[in-house]
Amino acid sequence: MIRADRLSKTFRVPRKAPGLRAALKGLVRPDLVEKRAVREVSFSVEEGEIVGLLGANGAGKTTLTKMLAGIVHPTAGDASVLGFRPWERDDRFRRQIALVMGQKAQLWWDLPAADGYLLLKEIYGIPADRYRRTIDALAEALGVVRELEIPIRRLSLGERMKMELIAALLHGPRVVFLDEPTIGLDLAAQRAIREFLLAYREENRPAVLLTSHYMEDIQRLCERILILRDGELVYDGSFKRVVERYAHTKVVSAHLRRDAPPPTAATVASLGASFDAEAWVVRRRVPRGEVAEAASALLATLPVADLSIEEEDVGAIVARILTARAEEAS
Amino acid sequence: MRPSLFLRVVATEARVHLAYRADFWIQSVLGVAAQVALAYFVWQAMFRESGATRIGGFDLTGMAVYYLVVVLLAKLVLGPEHAGRVSQDVYEGGLNRYLVFPTSYFLFKYAQSLGALLPAVVQLALLALAAPLVLASPEGVAITPGGAAMAAVSVGAANLLYFAMSFPVQCVAFWAENVWSLAVALRLAAGLLGGLLLPLAVFPEGVRAILAWLPFRFLFDEPVRVLLGQVAFLDWLEGLGLALAWTGAVLLGGRLVWRRGVLGYGGVGI
Repeated sequence: MIRADRLSKTFRVPRKAPGLRAALKGLVRPDLVEKRAVREVSFSVEEGEIVGLLGANGAGKTTLTKMLAGIVHPTAGDASVLGFRPWERDDRFRRQIALVMGQKAQLWWDLPAADGYLLLKEIYGIPADRYRRTIDALAEALGVVRELEIPIRRLSLGERMKMELIAALLHGPRVVFLDEPTIGLDLAAQRAIREFLLAYREENRPAVLLTSHYMEDIQRLCERILILRDGELVYDGSFKRVVERYAHTKVVSAHLRRDAPPPTAATVASLGASFDAEAWVVRRRVPRGEVAEAASALLATLPVADLSIEEEDVGAIVARILTARAEEAS
Repeated sequence: MRPSLFLRVVATEARVHLAYRADFWIQSVLGVAAQVALAYFVWQAMFRESGATRIGGFDLTGMAVYYLVVVLLAKLVLGPEHAGRVSQDVYEGGLNRYLVFPTSYFLFKYAQSLGALLPAVVQLALLALAAPLVLASPEGVAITPGGAAMAAVSVGAANLLYFAMSFPVQCVAFWAENVWSLAVALRLAAGLLGGLLLPLAVFPEGVRAILAWLPFRFLFDEPVRVLLGQVAFLDWLEGLGLALAWTGAVLLGGRLVWRRGVLGYGGVGI
C-alpha cells in the first residue's frame, strides 16, 4: 500500500551570519545552504501493518511522512501510496489517507468537534447514515461522547487528541500517517489511544506509519520499525529483535513511603542504585534478566510504597543502534 | 468543490467569527463611525477653506454619503484583515491540513473568507437602517431596489476580484519570510486607486484615464456608483464583464504562483 523508492528531499534554507553587514548583504543575495533531510529511502508497508518510524530529532521522519502524505515534493526518487504518486494530490488518493499530527491541531480551535466533523463529512462526501454510525462508534470507543459539543479549545490535551483521531478516521482511510499521536498525554490517555488504534487496525486493516518517541507506543503497536539517521534508513525490521539486541536493561523504581526516613547513602550504594530525594524514589538499572531479583532486593531492604519497572527510553535505544551502525560503518 | 461543501465552509467560518461578539460590536460601531467621521471633518474643512460648493461633482452631503457607503461596502469587498490568510497557513504549517483534504485550497479559502464576512453583512444591514436618520439624500443620489440588486452583484464581483488579487501576494510567503508589508501595500493601492480613500472623481483627468485601464476601480468606485444610481444598466453590465475578465486574468496568474510555491513548500509547523 505504501512504497518508497530511493526517496530523497533536500531543502534550501537561508544561512544568516551575525552582524548588520551580513544582514544587508542578505537583503540583496540571500545565502542559501542545502540541507539533505531524506536520502534515498526505500521501504514498503502492507495492508494491516503498523510500522514505527524512529530516529533522533532532525533525522527526517516528519519530512518522509509529509512526502508520503503528499504535502512535500521530493527532490529525487519515487513513491506510490495506494497506487498514486502522493505529491500529485489526486483527490482519489486524498480520500483514502489520513494524517494525524500530535503537535498540530487539525480541527477548528473555536468550534466544537461536532462542527468540524460536519465539515469533514462534506469534504469527504460521507453518506449521512455512515457518518452517524462512524461518529458514534469512534466517540464511544474513545470515551468522548459528551465532549463532542464542547469547543476544542476548552478540551484537555488528551480529549483533543482523541477528537483529532476521530477526525482522521471518520472517512475510513486505508492509509494512516500518525506523527506523535500520544505526545504530551497522560498515561491513561496514551493507553486509551493505543488500545483504540489496535482495535481499529483489527477491524479496518489500514496501513499505518507511526512516528513516536514513546517506547510504549512502538512496543504495543508495531511489530516492525524503520530507523532513520541523518535522513538515511539504517534499520528496517522486527522491533522485537531490536529490543533483544539493543535494549539491554530495564529501570526498577522503588517509590518510598513518605513517612519513613530516607535511605542511607550506604544502603543505596549497596543496592547499586541511586536516590532521587525530590521524587523520593530509589532507581536501579539492571540487565533484563535480573529484574525480579533486583525488585526483591529493593522490597526487602527499603520501605517501599510502590514499585515500577520501566523499559529504557526509545531514544536511548535508537541512539545505541545509531552508534553501533556508525561503528560498523567505520 | 461541491456547492454543499462550499456552503458548509461558509457556515462554519461564519460561526467562528460570530463567536467573538465583543470584537464584532467594536468593529461595527467604532470602526465605521471613526472612518466616516474622519472623512467628513476633513472634507468639511476642505470645502470651507476652498470656498467651493462642489468638488469632483460632490457637495459636502454627497461626499459624506459616498464615504458612508464606500466604508460599508469596503467591509464586504476586503473582508476582515486576518481572514483566509494564505501566508499564515504557509508559515505555521496550517496548509498541511488543506493539502491532505480532497478539495481545492483556493475555493476552501475563498469560502472561508465569505463566511468571515457574515458579521460585516449584519453590520451593514444595521448601519444602512440607521443611515437615512442621520443623512439627508443629496442631489444626484437615487438608491432604488434595482440599483441595490445591481450593486450587490458588483460587490460580489469586487470581493472575488480582491480575493484573487491578494491570493498571489499571500503566496509570496512560499519564498519570503514576511509578506505583511506586501499585503498592506496591496490594501493601500486598492484603497487609493479603487476609490476607497478618495472618490476617483476628484483625481485629475489624466490619472482617471489611466485608472480606467486598471482593475482597482471595480473594487469600490464602481459598486458605490451603482448603488447610488449613477450607472446605467448597460454600463453596469459592461463594467461587470470587465471586472470578471480581470478576475479571470488575476486568477490565472495566482494559479501559476501557487503551483510554483507549493512545489518548494516544506510543510513547516508539524
